[in-house]
Amino acid sequence: MPEIRPILLVEDNPRDLELTLAALEKCQLANEIVIARDGAEAIDYLFARGIHAERPAGDPTVVLLDLKLPKVDGLEVLDTVKKHAGLRHVPIVMLTSSREEQDLVRSYELGVNAFVVKPVEFNEFFKAIQDLGVFWALLNEPPPGLRSQNAI
Amino acid sequence: MRANLKDRRVKPSESDLNTVDREICAREPIQIPGAIQPHGALVVLRPADMTVIQASRNAFDYFGEGVTVGKAADGLLGSIVPRLAEWHRSVEPVMQVHIADTLQVTAHRSGPSIVVEVEHTPPGQLEGLFSKLRGFAQLLTAKPDIAGSLDVSARIIADLTGFDRVLAYRFDAEWNGHVVAEAGNGALPSYLDLRFPAGDIPAQARALYASNRLRIIPDAAYAAVPIEPATNPDTAGPLDLSQAQLRSVSPVHLEYMRNMGTAASMSVSILVDGRLWGLISCHSAHPHSVPVTIRDACDFIVQSLAMRIAALVHAEDGASRVALSRISGRLLASMSGSFGWVDGLVAIADDLLDQVGASGAAIVTEDRYLTAGDVPDEDQVRGIVEWLKTRDDQEIVSTASLSQQYGEAEDFAAQASGLLAVRISELYPSWLLWFRPEVVRTVQWGGDPHKVVHESGRIHPRKSFDAWREQVRLHARPWTPAELSAARDLRGAIVGIVLRKAEELAELSSELKRSNKELEAFSYSVSHDLRAPFRHIVGFAQLLRDRETGLDPKSQHYLQTISDSALAAGRLVDDLLNFSQLGRTALNRKPVDMNKLVAEVVKSVTIRLEGRAIEWSIDRLPPAYGDATLLRQVWFNLIENAVKYTRPRNPAHIAISGEAGHEQMTYRVVDNGVGFDMTYSGKLFGVFQRLQRAEDFEGTGIGLALVRRIVERHNGSITATGEVDRGASFVFALPSDIKKGRAIA
Repeated sequence: MPEIRPILLVEDNPRDLELTLAALEKCQLANEIVIARDGAEAIDYLFARGIHAERPAGDPTVVLLDLKLPKVDGLEVLDTVKKHAGLRHVPIVMLTSSREEQDLVRSYELGVNAFVVKPVEFNEFFKAIQDLGVFWALLNEPPPGLRSQNAI
Repeated sequence: MRANLKDRRVKPSESDLNTVDREICAREPIQIPGAIQPHGALVVLRPADMTVIQASRNAFDYFGEGVTVGKAADGLLGSIVPRLAEWHRSVEPVMQVHIADTLQVTAHRSGPSIVVEVEHTPPGQLEGLFSKLRGFAQLLTAKPDIAGSLDVSARIIADLTGFDRVLAYRFDAEWNGHVVAEAGNGALPSYLDLRFPAGDIPAQARALYASNRLRIIPDAAYAAVPIEPATNPDTAGPLDLSQAQLRSVSPVHLEYMRNMGTAASMSVSILVDGRLWGLISCHSAHPHSVPVTIRDACDFIVQSLAMRIAALVHAEDGASRVALSRISGRLLASMSGSFGWVDGLVAIADDLLDQVGASGAAIVTEDRYLTAGDVPDEDQVRGIVEWLKTRDDQEIVSTASLSQQYGEAEDFAAQASGLLAVRISELYPSWLLWFRPEVVRTVQWGGDPHKVVHESGRIHPRKSFDAWREQVRLHARPWTPAELSAARDLRGAIVGIVLRKAEELAELSSELKRSNKELEAFSYSVSHDLRAPFRHIVGFAQLLRDRETGLDPKSQHYLQTISDSALAAGRLVDDLLNFSQLGRTALNRKPVDMNKLVAEVVKSVTIRLEGRAIEWSIDRLPPAYGDATLLRQVWFNLIENAVKYTRPRNPAHIAISGEAGHEQMTYRVVDNGVGFDMTYSGKLFGVFQRLQRAEDFEGTGIGLALVRRIVERHNGSITATGEVDRGASFVFALPSDIKKGRAIA
């Protein structure tokens, strides 16, 4: 049984947050959901500093990252994480309200692991979140060296 | 006329030799021949003591005793010494006196000496002279132009002098001559329209003609009378006879006269504004003398003519300036109009040509080629432009003989021996070219060559004409400074207009860029922020429905309506964003397998259809060249429409076909659905235009607008035909691969 690591959900919009949480809840995942409300907080969590300095060790199993965020936007968070040798392996799924070509291109350039446009239709949205949760939390195998490192 | 000793065996085109010849001739000392013609006598006096210091050998024949070199003038000559002394103290250039009833004496200064010339005067010369002069003056002032004035003058001189033929010559800017008027009794052949090269009258002869207005040779076969002694004792040099009427002329000139069959000649200079404008030249087949009085009358006539010409030239000059400024004004107005400078110029082609006196013009820009008047072939004109591009000069290139610099031009010398080219822009070179034809193709000698029976020897007018032809072969009339400056002015005007237009465009484009950027930012933020609330509405409505299991049907209906409306609004936003993004994203063109696209689309559309009977007929489709993602959208919208509007049909028929053409590929989607009224076909492709009620057929009214936008971005076209309750047919065409280079939207 692999160790259960948290999912980091970065979302500034309270309604989106609520809907996403509702969707994730329905998946009945064992993973803890850590919430960051802007890009700066997300980075603090990932680097275990600031208000997250005392958080338990270990990287999240996946980061669900909204594109448009206050302070530090999603693309900057992505850039920071993917440029950092110790965090580069953390899967990041970009969630966005709309399929803007430029965002898509930029995200993949920066090394995003998946890019998901939030569907308007709730059932689709729900299914998308659920799929993401199941895929990244349960199905996906992180790189081997990492697991042992994290397991220590 | 002719003072040019030139070996005619030398080909005239060998211009180096030509020049050497001319220079030798130009050094011939025609003003100091040391002899006079025999129709008079000449005596040189020292003003201080009125001693005879030189005399022609025939002086005795006129003055008798009293003319001895080294002694004071005496006898008949001595009788006028007091008057000579009085005149010499005055500023009058010339003194004339009549003595012994039959002698006309004329005195002028030459260096420090007095030159006295004497001729016999037949009696009765003044009879009728003044009434003739009055008649001439009246005729002259009545003539409105130069040609008429020359004609009147030639006639009266022929009448007064009795010469067989009187010609009026005009010089051009290069001193080439042209016979422009003629009068006479027909004894000598007509030389009207004769042309001769500048070299025929060398510079020092022209200078002489300008200072001594009238020359006469009563008998070309004369034996010259020497002046003795040859050297003037007071100057220790030869006597300057440039102002003498009796001056003996160059033997070359006499040969020329003999060769053209004339025995006597007289010429009078036409001086306009101090410049030798032309000549009145008189000839007779036999020796012919003209008394001094009549010669003076001719001088007076020609001076009157010269004043008339000066007045006409100035008036013409002024008028042409006015006309030119009018032309410039019209060209400027036309260029500044809505057409732009190229079409503006061609719209008033006559003015374009008149601006510089050209016979043809061409405008060559990056993408346009326009001509006016008589021009070479397009290939030839483009050849000239290529040649111009190789020259690193200048905004203006002008030549009167293009073939000298650009050999290929010999082929089209008839249209373009003269070229005046202006370059309009440095960055995207545009050229305005003016052309002039070769002169010899526009001019023929009017005289009948077979009538010139007297001409023989090395030098004569026929050969001069040939020489002139050779000299002007492949030459056009030269561009005058005024014409070049007109071209320069026009160029300035064009550049001004081009620059102004460019500035306006730059301003417009920066404005467009700014508003485009604003629009992009707007659309970007809309795409993120507008979608979210609909998602929330749908999401929370769903959460509510999941939670409240005991809702009555009405409440459930309300909830459902909230969800549906939010969903519809969300779709509308999606479609709008799609539509606006289409203008912003670049096309990614590649060969596209349309069969594959259609198969995918049909599969994705039918997957959502339950209980619909649709008969598909899908032909093999030709490949397209375009953006696969966008073309998929085209197929999706068209096929989805076909499926949607055949909903009342059972079974529905949807046929998809296509055909490959040379320049375009055509694709077709035909259905048997509800169709549409062709009256409204114009609205079909508009944004938010719907021809069906929303409760019958869902939709945002953007689908077909999007389709048309995609097709048009591919440089294609789309049309729709339909009939109510019978079905609709959509046909779109895309440029084929062959045309892709020109098919950039």
